[in-house]
Amino acid sequence: METMESTNWRRFFLETAALVVSAVLCALVANLMASRERKLALVTDYPNAQKVPERSAAPPPLSPVVAEAPAASPAAAAPVTAAPASPTFPPIEKGTSVPASSAAPAPDPAAKVKIIENRLSEDELLARFPPPAGKPYREATPEDVTTLFQSGALFIDARRTKVYQEGHIAGARSVSVWESDVAERILDLVNEGRRQDLPVVIYCSGGECEDSHMLSEKLFGAGFTNLVIYKDGWPDWVKRGGKTARGLTP
Amino acid sequence: MAGLGEARGKDRAGIDAVTRLASFLTHPWLTVRVQIGLGLIFIIAALPKIVDPPSFAHMVLNYRILPGSLVNLSALVLPWFELLAGLALVLGIFRRTASVWIGVLLCVFMGAIALNLFWDNPIECGCFDPKDAGKSVEERFFDMKALLLRDAGMLLMVAQSLWAERSRRVAGAPSPVVDPSKVGDLV
Repeated sequence: METMESTNWRRFFLETAALVVSAVLCALVANLMASRERKLALVTDYPNAQKVPERSAAPPPLSPVVAEAPAASPAAAAPVTAAPASPTFPPIEKGTSVPASSAAPAPDPAAKVKIIENRLSEDELLARFPPPAGKPYREATPEDVTTLFQSGALFIDARRTKVYQEGHIAGARSVSVWESDVAERILDLVNEGRRQDLPVVIYCSGGECEDSHMLSEKLFGAGFTNLVIYKDGWPDWVKRGGKTARGLTP
Repeated sequence: MAGLGEARGKDRAGIDAVTRLASFLTHPWLTVRVQIGLGLIFIIAALPKIVDPPSFAHMVLNYRILPGSLVNLSALVLPWFELLAGLALVLGIFRRTASVWIGVLLCVFMGAIALNLFWDNPIECGCFDPKDAGKSVEERFFDMKALLLRDAGMLLMVAQSLWAERSRRVAGAPSPVVDPSKVGDLV
């Protein structure tokens, strides 16, 4: 009877081992053969993975208190890296918008009038949106995001590539935090030699979407010190009639 | 004594109601159907996760239980384990082991959902579709409670499968292997 029991256990462990080993092998092979969008990096880390997000208390946006753009203050700026490549995204045009994807909410005509021309130079941008002290990012109001867009700040879309393809903020770059080549894409941004102290706007799907926050941690680790989270994200942009684009190119 | 037997629900052959119920619940006819059903559920649940691991990794992270370094690995391996365990049940191989592990997975899912209900963290299960369905907070909480009930029902199926396997081994009965000529009866 004892022998039968031990045989049962032995069989159980052997079958378990067979299932686990097969599952691991299948997973590794499938991941190896997966397309870039569906591949996962085996070794990665997600900060705050075990921290339950606070549902009710979203921190108030840290909109800069400076009402008007002051005179340029280059001395206050962080050290400038070599070959400062000026972002060349088109300024937003009053009341114009490219139709967004069919899944996106319809633009709110009343909200369009809020978009005003307010292009700032790099130094003015730095003065108005200085790197946040002690944390990798700040959250910005939609109005601040509009100003940043008009001033040619770098926009990064943290959503999945497929969703980016369906519609994104015009000029935004795609760096999906969930895809295996996220480190590669961040490295590409770093290698472009752009100033890392200038504001970089990151957005995702708005609401409870945390992708932009997760991406900001990675970008901060790569040396970007002035990260601005557009918390209301893509749905708000479309609702406010912001300029959008489709496809894989910014 | 005869009166006592009648009071306990014995039929004319002297078999009481409990024995008849146990006999029905462990009958190979029922066991095969329960195992195939359970296996199919796990196969259907595993496929979308295998097709889109990044979305499932997102779901795994939303549970806030695993350390960040284990999120991707779990998102890759777990769906394949579900698929293989489900296939084992459908094909009638490793039945006891597959039933045990499916039971363990169900308990883990239920524990994870219960924990998030306790934390007041509305999550989408990602059980059959790892993509975010864009549900409201209230809808998510409702779904989480419904999921506990659904998984409890599936745990009952696991219990039946294990009980039947145990009864069969104790009785020394032949295993309920599916006869190919009777596949039509089983499906």
